[in-house]
Amino acid sequence: MTIDFAVLGELAWRCAALSLVAIGGINAILPEVHRAVVELEHWMTSAQFAELFALAQLAPGPNAMVVALIGWQVAGVPGAFVATLAICGPSSLLCYAALHWWERLRHWPRRAIVQRALAPVAIGLILASGYTLARGADRTLVAAAITIGAGLALAFTRINPVWVLGLAALLGAAGWT
Amino acid sequence: MPGLVGVSRASLLGAFLKMGLLGFGGVMPWARRVMVDERRWLTDREFAEMIGMCQVLPGPNVVNMAVVIGSRAAGPAGSLVALTGILFVPVIIVLVLAMFYASVAQLPMAHNAIAAASAAGAGLILGTATRLLISTRPPLRGLAMGIAAFVSIGLLHWPLLWVLPTLVALAIAIEWRVR
Repeated sequence: MTIDFAVLGELAWRCAALSLVAIGGINAILPEVHRAVVELEHWMTSAQFAELFALAQLAPGPNAMVVALIGWQVAGVPGAFVATLAICGPSSLLCYAALHWWERLRHWPRRAIVQRALAPVAIGLILASGYTLARGADRTLVAAAITIGAGLALAFTRINPVWVLGLAALLGAAGWT
Repeated sequence: MPGLVGVSRASLLGAFLKMGLLGFGGVMPWARRVMVDERRWLTDREFAEMIGMCQVLPGPNVVNMAVVIGSRAAGPAGSLVALTGILFVPVIIVLVLAMFYASVAQLPMAHNAIAAASAAGAGLILGTATRLLISTRPPLRGLAMGIAAFVSIGLLHWPLLWVLPTLVALAIAIEWRVR
């Protein structure tokens, strides 16, 4: 397999830029990743995007693994590693730099104000992520019902999300589509 | 975080490998179990405070946590060791899983299973947002900012690199005024 360095470069800078605006974590930037890889670059369809997200959730590890799979889909195994490093690198360097001010930040009286301001913005972004994924995944009424059921289970019970995904996969395998 | 003084790199690597490997459906619960209950590196309070700070900083929250803990234990090398532990093995596992799926994706059963799982995956994120909304109960001005974020990004597909700094600045300015 030949390595397409132009595509790898494109992947790297897109992920690196997103790394620094991922306030609220990976789940807050999924609509922007979707916009980049589905709408602008046409690297995959919306349904494939939702599938990669589900595969990443079925495996152990940080949420950032979905970005590794997107890198893999776009540019093979090198793409997976480039995307992972690019999505984690800039934010990790910033976090390392912030350690220096950790104590001052810890006792900063206005920290609560900033946290209170950021939380609803992050929630709105996470909601947008769920909506983006649902638009890609829900091609049928049964799929929409599974989305709603999974949402209710996670919002109102303490169930581990992996069981919800596993149960949905079994339903799908049994022909409920 | 005095519990972290003198923690070896091997011990760091082992702990973060464990969190990465067992973290099905989210690493955070395992992070607490390994670092607070098992190794006693942090108290519950230190853990909660660290997570709060990692959430304010951009980037994957668990990855930021690895940077902080690794550095506190063993400096820059400690951060690199913790990052390797939490990222490397999960990347390999998720790639093997995706390649396996790609090899069976033409089977209707496999395809239907993943299609249904992706529908559930969307629901999990919507459920997470709902849960956060219920637990934080933002006031009206906060709800307005959340709706603005949802509409501009989810419905209008505006670029996040412009929208986010604007919304964050606006949200902080509003909170500051009503303080």
